[in-house]
Amino acid sequence: MSDASAPTNLLINIILRFGFLIVFAAFFALFAFWNPVFVQGGNLMNIVEGSAVLMILALGMTLIVATGGIDLSIGIALDFGAAFAVVAMKSYGLDWFGAACAGVIGGSIVGLFNALLVVGLKISPFLATLSTFFIGSSVQRIFTNGGGPISHRRMPEEFRNLALGDVFGVPTEAVIAFVLVVIYFIVLERSIWGRRIHAMGMQRSAAVVAGIRVNRILILCFVAAAATCAIAGLIAAANIRMFTPLSGFSYLLDAIAAVFIGAALHSRGRPNIPGTVMGVLFLGMVANGLNLMGLNFNTKDALQGIILVSALALAVAQRKARNG
Amino acid sequence: MGQSAFRLSGITKEFPGVRALDDASLEVLAGEVHGLVGENGAGKSTVIKVLAGVYQPEAGKVEVDGQLLSPATPANVHAAGVRFIHQELHLVPHFTVTESVFMGQERRGPFGLAKREMRKAAETFLRDTLGLDVSGNRLIRDLGTAERKLVQVARALIDGDAKVVVFDEPTAPLASNEVDIVMGAIARLKAQGIAILYVSHYLSEITDICDRVTVFRQGQTVGVFDNITADSAGDLVFAMVGRNITDMFPPKGDRVVSDGLQITDFTDGQKFAPLTMSVGKGEIVGIAGLIGSGREEFVDTLYGLRRRKMGAVSFEGADLTITTAAQAVRSGLVLVPRDRRHDGLVLSMSVAENVTLATLEDNAVMGLENRNAARKATLAQVQSLDIRPPNPDAITRLLSGGNQQKVVLARWLSTSARIFIFDEPTVGVDVGAKAEIYQLIEELAGEGACVIVSSSDPVELQGVCDRIVVMTRGALVGEMQADAISVDDLVAATTGASSVEEIRNAS
Repeated sequence: MSDASAPTNLLINIILRFGFLIVFAAFFALFAFWNPVFVQGGNLMNIVEGSAVLMILALGMTLIVATGGIDLSIGIALDFGAAFAVVAMKSYGLDWFGAACAGVIGGSIVGLFNALLVVGLKISPFLATLSTFFIGSSVQRIFTNGGGPISHRRMPEEFRNLALGDVFGVPTEAVIAFVLVVIYFIVLERSIWGRRIHAMGMQRSAAVVAGIRVNRILILCFVAAAATCAIAGLIAAANIRMFTPLSGFSYLLDAIAAVFIGAALHSRGRPNIPGTVMGVLFLGMVANGLNLMGLNFNTKDALQGIILVSALALAVAQRKARNG
Repeated sequence: MGQSAFRLSGITKEFPGVRALDDASLEVLAGEVHGLVGENGAGKSTVIKVLAGVYQPEAGKVEVDGQLLSPATPANVHAAGVRFIHQELHLVPHFTVTESVFMGQERRGPFGLAKREMRKAAETFLRDTLGLDVSGNRLIRDLGTAERKLVQVARALIDGDAKVVVFDEPTAPLASNEVDIVMGAIARLKAQGIAILYVSHYLSEITDICDRVTVFRQGQTVGVFDNITADSAGDLVFAMVGRNITDMFPPKGDRVVSDGLQITDFTDGQKFAPLTMSVGKGEIVGIAGLIGSGREEFVDTLYGLRRRKMGAVSFEGADLTITTAAQAVRSGLVLVPRDRRHDGLVLSMSVAENVTLATLEDNAVMGLENRNAARKATLAQVQSLDIRPPNPDAITRLLSGGNQQKVVLARWLSTSARIFIFDEPTVGVDVGAKAEIYQLIEELAGEGACVIVSSSDPVELQGVCDRIVVMTRGALVGEMQADAISVDDLVAATTGASSVEEIRNAS
């Protein structure tokens, strides 16, 4: 390398090293410049609060992607969580805690069904969870006679607080998301189970030969991921005092995007919790920022896609450069 | 012969932190088969990539057919008639032989593709030039590995302009009877005046077919040998490793053998018939057999990777129930698999992550990892096995074959396993590491472990094992004491040239 090119190389190095952070910061600055409201505390809290449901779903998705699969039925788990909780309160008069448990159990059923298809019938996670998605969608339509919402106006205050309350001024849903992030981080990135999950996700056959019980891990992961998504369902139901069938689907693509942004940020391309958190916040920030810029709804998705592609391309270049 | 087909001289190529080639040279003469040998990391692949124009060296000259190429590029090297047969096949399983041969160089007729003409040309070329009689309409996936290799060769040579052909480890994935097919094709090419550079780990092949051999060590050319004969192998090994490995195999210790593993009427109901064998504690038992003999399936079934139909396995008189690999590991039965890059290691994980994968609980408190402890435990294994680089954080993918195999071993040595199965323990492992692995196997037996070595390499089996059982066509056909037989006997037994009875009676 000659001296003349040194400054350019330095610049390239900086961009490569902090690439995604720079993009993140650049957008942040752009949105702030365009509309100062963006950086006001209230709006930043909006972004965090508005990202909570997606964050929780993305955690479940990260777990499944880490095992080497994908879960297209996270929305169904969310719907089931909401439906079981609302019905438990409305028709069976359970208190808020009983209802929350019922919701989590409802979501877990979806996970168990996935595990049955993937582990029992050896169907690939993509197709298995796609089937679950179809079946789960239909079940909701049948149950609600065509997809009408089930509202519960006299929802217990404690349950409503899952979405609307706050803990020392921080919205409860953000607190729930944060606690789940911490739990997921410890399990996936710091525990021996996380090590096994990553190993089987990266090279299943090698994990099997190393004596890892991959089927047991798969079952546990599908159930845990679905139960987590059901918690997001509780929040969604508490927010609007009703269960809206098929509402979980709208999060699916964002959750997948967040997980893969996170994986791209990792030095070895692994799906990981800090990366997923970054991905979710990035998507939340872009959506919020574009909104404040007053952009037409139609252009927003295109812009989000373009931003996503550039950020991912940069992250890949970054990893390549780092690994020589 | 005598005229230079290509010459690389004074080649230096650096990568960040490594000088891969250091003033290296390599010359192949017209009409000869020239061997290139060296341990992993000696610079063989780098020099081939320099010749191919893929790498631009910092210094040195590339001349093909007397003409200086400056710089050598993939295009002008190809134009000069140099063809490369890469180790990987890169063939589409669902294509026909004809389609594969002409992929990317299809011939056109007046009505689109000249399919008939291409099929005739492919069949003629394979038959006359490579000695393979095969229909152009066969699918690649229906061919054997050796036949696929020849299709790959045909694809590189069908344009008829080849003057030099570089074979990079052409026989690595082949069983020994398939090797002859490829060797025959190379002999035919030589007879047609094509110069050949033959890169291989298998010294017996090198001494069989090469006229001259160049030896690389640590990026330098350390010797060019003329008059290669079957006895040259020793000289080549000495040049490759820089020291004399007269005893590749450690002396067999005086071990006390006691009852250990007993396998009774064991079968998967498909690939191998019920078989009974025992492996004592402190004993090394070899399993010999060609591809398709049921040897691999037996090993996999024993380890719980395949479903067993019937049979019992016991250790020290107590039954072992093994239906999954996880149960095998917890019963103290471990496998060093034949395909280590696929089944042995999580390649994108670090050495430490791979070594501790089976002993995660030992370095954890309440399920939370103690990474320092894991790293320390790994470092101890890395040092005792001399794994290079001696860095627990190195990515396993970047290690050489021998060091990767040591990582697999390090994982099992960290457990309290008592039964070790080695499946093709030294495939793709360089000479130095090979000797170390054999030493380790001997030490394990010395410490009272039951050891099974399943291998397609008769030299290895004869050198390491106490006792060898032979499998042919899915049946265990007999067993022999390793001391009492020669390598040739073993080959004869596995190929069915003579029965185990005959060999035992003769010795």
